[in-house]
Amino acid sequence: MSDRLLEHYPLTPGRYDEMLSAPGKLRPHWLSLFDTVARANPAQMQERLESVRRQIRENGVTYNVYADPRGVERPWELDLLPLVIPPDEWAGIEAAIAQRAELLNRILLDIYGPQHLLNEGLLPPALVFGHSGFLRPCHGIRVPGDRHLHLYAADLARSPDGRWWVLADRTQAPSGAGYSLENRLVISRVFSEQFRDMRVQHLASFFATLRDTLDQHAPEGDGPPLTVLLTPGPYNETYFEHAYLARYLGFPLVEGSDLLVRDGKVWLKNLSGLRRVHAILRRLDDDFCDPLELRADSALGVPGLLDAARRGTVLIANALGSNLLESGALLGFLPGLCERLLGEPLAMPSLATWWCGEEAALDDAISRLDNLVIKPAFPQLRIDSVFGADLDRKARAALIARMRARPHHYVAQELIQLSQTPVWDAQRTRPLAARAVGLRVFACASPDGYAVMPGGLARVASERDVRVIAMQRGGASKDTWVLTHGAVNSFSLLRRTVTASELVRAGSNLSSRIVENLFWFGRYCERCDNEARMLRAAIALHIEQDDIDDHPLSGLCRRVGLLPAEPAPASGDALRSAALDASAPGSLAADLHRLSHVAFSLRERLSLDNWRVVSRLNEESARSHARESGEILEHLDRCVRDMMTLSGFTLDGMTRDQGWRFLSIGRRIERLQFLCNMLRHALDSGPDVAPDWLLELADSAITYRSRYMTRPLWLPVLDLLICDETNPRSVAYQALGLTDYVARLNAQFGTLDGILLSDAVADLLSLRADSDLHTGSTHLADVLDRLASAAYSLSEQLGVRFFSHADSAWRNDSGDMA
Amino acid sequence: MSSERYVVMHRTRYRYAWPVTLSRQLLHLTPRKTPRQRTQAHRIDIDPPPVERESRSDYFGNAIEQLTIAQTHDTLEVFSHAIVDVGAAECPQTAVSPPWEHVRDRLRQVGTAPLLEPCQFVYTSPHVEPLMALARYARLDFHRGRPMLDATLALMRRIHRDFEFDPEATTVSTPLETLLREKRGVCQDLAHFMIGCLRSLGLPARYVSGYLLTEPPPGQPRLIGADASHAWVSVFCPGQGWLDVDPTNCVQPGKQHITLAWGRDFSDVTPMRGVILGGGEHTVDVSVTVLPEHEAGTAELLRKATQPLERE
Repeated sequence: MSDRLLEHYPLTPGRYDEMLSAPGKLRPHWLSLFDTVARANPAQMQERLESVRRQIRENGVTYNVYADPRGVERPWELDLLPLVIPPDEWAGIEAAIAQRAELLNRILLDIYGPQHLLNEGLLPPALVFGHSGFLRPCHGIRVPGDRHLHLYAADLARSPDGRWWVLADRTQAPSGAGYSLENRLVISRVFSEQFRDMRVQHLASFFATLRDTLDQHAPEGDGPPLTVLLTPGPYNETYFEHAYLARYLGFPLVEGSDLLVRDGKVWLKNLSGLRRVHAILRRLDDDFCDPLELRADSALGVPGLLDAARRGTVLIANALGSNLLESGALLGFLPGLCERLLGEPLAMPSLATWWCGEEAALDDAISRLDNLVIKPAFPQLRIDSVFGADLDRKARAALIARMRARPHHYVAQELIQLSQTPVWDAQRTRPLAARAVGLRVFACASPDGYAVMPGGLARVASERDVRVIAMQRGGASKDTWVLTHGAVNSFSLLRRTVTASELVRAGSNLSSRIVENLFWFGRYCERCDNEARMLRAAIALHIEQDDIDDHPLSGLCRRVGLLPAEPAPASGDALRSAALDASAPGSLAADLHRLSHVAFSLRERLSLDNWRVVSRLNEESARSHARESGEILEHLDRCVRDMMTLSGFTLDGMTRDQGWRFLSIGRRIERLQFLCNMLRHALDSGPDVAPDWLLELADSAITYRSRYMTRPLWLPVLDLLICDETNPRSVAYQALGLTDYVARLNAQFGTLDGILLSDAVADLLSLRADSDLHTGSTHLADVLDRLASAAYSLSEQLGVRFFSHADSAWRNDSGDMA
Repeated sequence: MSSERYVVMHRTRYRYAWPVTLSRQLLHLTPRKTPRQRTQAHRIDIDPPPVERESRSDYFGNAIEQLTIAQTHDTLEVFSHAIVDVGAAECPQTAVSPPWEHVRDRLRQVGTAPLLEPCQFVYTSPHVEPLMALARYARLDFHRGRPMLDATLALMRRIHRDFEFDPEATTVSTPLETLLREKRGVCQDLAHFMIGCLRSLGLPARYVSGYLLTEPPPGQPRLIGADASHAWVSVFCPGQGWLDVDPTNCVQPGKQHITLAWGRDFSDVTPMRGVILGGGEHTVDVSVTVLPEHEAGTAELLRKATQPLERE
């Protein structure tokens, strides 16, 4: 079997093979794993593959390829076979990466400090002053523990002679450590015996070191230490990893709008108030972190964050400004800098890279263009990497002209023949195939220097392009097995047991942003439901009678902004546009879009089913070309049905925590306002048009018929829709429910002013059927108006008190933060 | 050295459509101390008053005022008042300055004792991209071997001649390509353009923000608030240091130019930069008055006239 497996596995001349040392000859560290694969029958391998796919699907591991809000996200690609690295070889890599991290940290300390390296001429000024990642406002900031770099990654590749080289450094907010961890969990399950028998080193202690070092270096004060993971949000290509790492490390996952700087300190806004943040592990790029002192157009950052760092009240990992070292231009200077700063030679060479800002290097690069890749010297330059050999005469001349005009913008890098490693490609009849491979390794700061993660994110190129490895270009990833001679450290950060005292119940530490999104999720669900019902009724009416302008339903649609104001007629076109045109501001389609937007930012908290319903509805509505009333009615029916499904999910599928309460408050406020609006409009329109339409909009026709067996009459209809406390679509039911929620919130947090609401409710409850329930009652109109404005005021108060914290942010100057 | 004493009043007023609940601002409004400029007195009044206020230096050594306003407001007024002595510029030896290529090469030199300070001002910055097309324009004056300062003054004159002053033509972020094509703009655009020309040749040039004394037409009284913030350029020449040039007025700044701050371009020295919570649409109204000391009596009146607004 083993020979047959290898029969079609190609060795490539001039390329190192990770598995074979010669044709048919396995490297020793591959023997055991290869044997397992060779002995397995096709069904067993298929089972393993299925298991990998299932785990990835169930864990929701994704990688956003185009960061498209409508969910163009791709399942994470993970190959079945790990990259295996033997102990001795790993020892070399480990020492070299630890040294390199130390070196880069020292360089940052110098550049953002005394700048000896520039003064001594060891580093050309252009590499610093010409790099837009050199953040001038960060100069002079003392970082806690003298650490700029807490997490560092290097991209490695192996040359034909078997040596490892560094292709690039990731110093800002390296991605991939979380994916490595996820890869490990999946692959160690499908090859569990080999994983144990081959003595593969575990990853958990690396992450524990990262967590402990952050704790140790973080400043103290204002309560127990809190570290958060700052993400740019769900649109980021590696958002899955942010959420995954945050959960694994036990850090709250926050966006910029969750944080607030006050008194020069950073605070996390949550339901119960503000909580001091001591350390931030960030995945947000440097220049986006603070719109006050860095990029003014950043909506993702925290105004004043840089000043908090300047005052030393928060640890930011990695320190702001560390993007500076992500520059190919620096690579050529590292050997000299290593000698100067560490007094030792650089252990692992960088792939030969020349910065064209030096005249000799420019001339040399131009003369050898065919053998080089020309890359931007700094990541911010919008320049694509180009293989010199790919250029025709014209393109070549143009490139040379650009290089001569601005030589310091370019680096020239030697080409490397990447090593190859086996992958399991089930599409092929001979599934064992060879692909070019690169390895991203990680180091984190520890009390004694840098600790290197024993493993890494291996990435293989797609079949077609052996020169470029990029997940964005259709490559796949691999687990990396680092073997040890010694004992395996089986420390784990995943909980094996939970004791009674550690049980977690619904807490009040929900972030304000999540609560606000849940609140709006509730409101938009309800709003879309109401709008769909109004449009359904209006279109049905329009089919029966061409002119519906005089009907109170049209007036109501105008009143709530669904139809344009008079004199524009409530024509078929206007109704269609109100249903399907997302560019019309008050339309159902626009609100579905808003609902989907809110739901997207809640993906961490909504079940997949919820999310699917919302995104399908939004897409259907965006794609719909329905012109006929019948088709539009079908769409509206679906919409009403889906909204009921969503409401069922929230009723049945969510725990009753504070988040759920806010979602429900959102729903109730919206429904109460709608009912009040609807009934107020009915009162204004007078008794002439029979109140059938009210029953339909309030979904209460069946109840009415079963009770009264008559055509709809005003008194019983108004009683059912206003006073009946058992009808979930009555004003009384909603107002009382809302009163109850306010009371509960006040019991826990205090401060909400519910007087407006409770006064109006008292009057509502004392309405008299004989004297008040008719269309001419000014008292009834007044009660409805007051209820609507109480709902509005409540919504405003919630915003100030729980979402933006505008009240406690500054006005509370006692320093006593809840 | 003879000097002139001025009273400068610079008032900025923002009006917001909606209340602002939280406002953080960074101000570059403190006149800088230079060899030919001394500040006798300076004060910035802010209304509504900030809960936090701190002065510090920025990376380029300019004084910066950092403030947080937590009081809900719909108008923000910042009133900077300074008394400054300004001396005449020294006459540079333009003809004996080194050939411009020498300056370029000296700055590119990698090795010991680099000229770090001017090196800050040679590269791309947020508003200045040293395009190849700018180099072609600049080379009309930067002939081979021409003394650096001689060529710089010629470039200044060319820009002054080619450009039309037009406050309507540009915004803060009009790119240099557009300026090169349209050749219209205000002092800020001309300064950015000239800096781009110099940097595209590998020469260090920085952006200076400040004020200019404007003389009313003969026989007419000085108008209050008629002046404006001004901007010009400073170039570096080894051995001679930094030399100011003002392409908008085609002069070498002297006693009539009052320096506030300098940086790579406007973005480094924006007079007011901030982030607010709330606010919606806003309008901004800036008035600047520069008065020679001998008109100080008038100044006292003016100060009254420009008292901070009453709360609305």
